[in-house]
Amino acid sequence: MKPLRIALTKGRLESKTLDLFDQMGLDTSVVRNKGRRLILPVGDSIEVVLAKAADVITYVEHGVCDLGVVGKDTITEAGGSFYELLDLGFGKCRFALAAPKDKEFFGGYATKTIASKYPNVTAAYFAKKNMDVRIIKIEGSVELAPLLDLADGIVDIVETGSTLKENGLEVVEEVMPISARLIANTAALKLRKAEIEALLDQFEKLL
Amino acid sequence: MQQTIFTTPAGMQDLLFEESRARRQVEKNLTDLFAGRGFAEVMTPGMEFARTVAASSAAMPEEELYKLTDTRGRLLVARPDNTIPIARMVASRLRGEIFPVRLYYAQTVYTLNHGLYGHRDEEFQVGVELLGAGGAKADLEMIALAASAMKACEAGDFRLEIGHADVFNSLIGELPVSDDDRATIRELIENKNYAALNTALDALPESDAVRAIRLLPRLFGGEEVLETLRPLIGSPAAVAALDSLSSLYRALVALGLGDQLMIDLGMVHRNDYYTGVIFRGYLEGSGEIILSGGRYDNLLSRYGMDMPAIGFAIHVDSVAKLRQSGDASRPVPQVLIHAEAGFETAALAEAEAMLADGVVCEVSPFETTEQARAYAESRGISRLWTVGEEGNE
Repeated sequence: MKPLRIALTKGRLESKTLDLFDQMGLDTSVVRNKGRRLILPVGDSIEVVLAKAADVITYVEHGVCDLGVVGKDTITEAGGSFYELLDLGFGKCRFALAAPKDKEFFGGYATKTIASKYPNVTAAYFAKKNMDVRIIKIEGSVELAPLLDLADGIVDIVETGSTLKENGLEVVEEVMPISARLIANTAALKLRKAEIEALLDQFEKLL
Repeated sequence: MQQTIFTTPAGMQDLLFEESRARRQVEKNLTDLFAGRGFAEVMTPGMEFARTVAASSAAMPEEELYKLTDTRGRLLVARPDNTIPIARMVASRLRGEIFPVRLYYAQTVYTLNHGLYGHRDEEFQVGVELLGAGGAKADLEMIALAASAMKACEAGDFRLEIGHADVFNSLIGELPVSDDDRATIRELIENKNYAALNTALDALPESDAVRAIRLLPRLFGGEEVLETLRPLIGSPAAVAALDSLSSLYRALVALGLGDQLMIDLGMVHRNDYYTGVIFRGYLEGSGEIILSGGRYDNLLSRYGMDMPAIGFAIHVDSVAKLRQSGDASRPVPQVLIHAEAGFETAALAEAEAMLADGVVCEVSPFETTEQARAYAESRGISRLWTVGEEGNE
C-alpha cells in the first residue's frame, strides 16, 4: 500500500502538525532532521511534502498529494476545489481591516484605496458591504501603504496587533478568523476513504 | 507579438503523438461502447449564443465563459458544456422525434480558468444523453452504462459513487433560511467543510432536518449511510430519494459492481440543475473527477420542451493522462520505401501492398538511395526497401 501523502505548509503549521503526529505515536524524526529534502516519511503509512501555503492547495487540488495542512487565509484567497475536512485549531489569527488611528475610515464619499497581500479576500469583503474600493496589491509590509499615503487602509492578517500599533494603525473591523485546516483531494477521499477517515479520527481525538 | 507567436493560450495545449494517440484510444473505446448501446452521435457548433447558455438551469459562472461577439454585436460563448447545446438542439431540431432519443458526443468544452493553477481551459469530453425517459429503469441503465464506460477507459480500478439531489433539496427546504444561507450551506456540504457547516447550522433552531444536514458531508460509503440518515428524514421527496438510491444500490451490486460502488449523500453540486440521481466516477491514480452525470429533468423545459433526461460525460483528457506509456517520442515506421528514378509508381504500389499487410511504411521523397539510407539510419527505421531495376531489396 502506498503511503498517504500529506502536504504541510512549511514553518509553524508544519511543526504543529508534526507534534500531532508525535502524539499519535508516529515517528517524525526523519522530518525533524530533514536537511534539504522536501518529501519525507512519517512512520510507514504517511509521506510528508513540505511546500509554501498556496502550493499546498495546488498539490492537493491536482491530487499529487492526498491531504494538506494550510491556513484558512490561503484557502480564502486562492479558492479551488477540494474538501476542507477539519479545523485543526492552531495557527490562529484573523483577517482585519486596519486604518490610521486618527481617521474615520468609513467617513466621507471619496472612494477608498485599500492595500493588501490578499486582493481576493479584500474584494469579497468590500463587495459584501456594497462598497466600491480601489485595491492595490502589495507584496511586503502592507502597513507601509497608509503611512506613505498610498492607501486609506489595509486588509491583512493580524495576530497581536502590535505591528499595527507601532505604525499608528488600528483595527477598524474584523474580516474573518483564521486557523489551520486539513484539506483533502476530492478523488483521494473517495478512493482512500478508510485510511483518510482513520487519520481524521485520530486528529479529532487530539484536538 | 514576437514573444507569443510560438506559444498556446493559457490552459490550451498541443497533443503530440503519444498524447493524441492516448486520447483517441479512449475516445474510440467509449464511442464504440455508446454506439453499440444504441446511442447516435451528434456534433454541436463551437459557439453558442450567450443567451442560450444563460437560459439553461445550469448556472454557468459568467467569469468562466470565453466570450466574443458575432457580426451583429450579439454575445457568443465558446461551448462551455455539452448538455446545454444538446438540449437546445433536441428542443428545436428533434422536437417531432420518437422518444426516448439516445445521443452521444465527443467534443471539446471551454472554461476560462483564472490564475496559473494548471487547469485545462480546453477539455475533451465524450458523453451520452438519454432524453425523454424518466424513472428508475432509465436511472439504472445509465449508471450501469457509466460503470461500463469507466471499464472501457482501460485505465485501472475505478470507483463510482451515487447520490440524489432531492436529499439536500428537500432537507434545506424545511429550514428557515434565506437563499444566500442556503447557497452557503450547500457549498459547505459540497466542500465537506464540517467545521464551518456546524457553525452555520448552530444559528438555526435544532430539528431533525438540521441534524440530518449536519451529517450529510460524512454520509458516504456503503448502503449503511442510507439507514443512518433515514430516521432523520420525514419529507416524502427525501424518503423517495433514499428508497431509489437503495434499490439502485442493490441492483448495481447484483450487476457485480459492489466493490466499485459508493453512496455519497453529500453530493450537492449543481443542485439547481440536477433533479434526481447524481453520480461520479474516479480512477485509481488520478486526483481528478473522471466521470460526472445525473438526472436533469428541468433543463429541457427551459427550451420549451418539458421532458425528463439523464446523461453523463467522461473527462477524456484525465483518462488519457493515466494511459500514456511514457514514450513521448515520434513514432518510427517499420519500412522506408525508396524508388529509383522511373520506379515511383511501382514504389507506391509496394506501399499499398504493405498497407494491406499491416506493415507501417513511409515513402522516401529523397533523390538518391544514399540520402534515403542516411535518413532511415538517423530516424532508426530498421528496413530500407528500394524499388528499381535490380528488383526490390
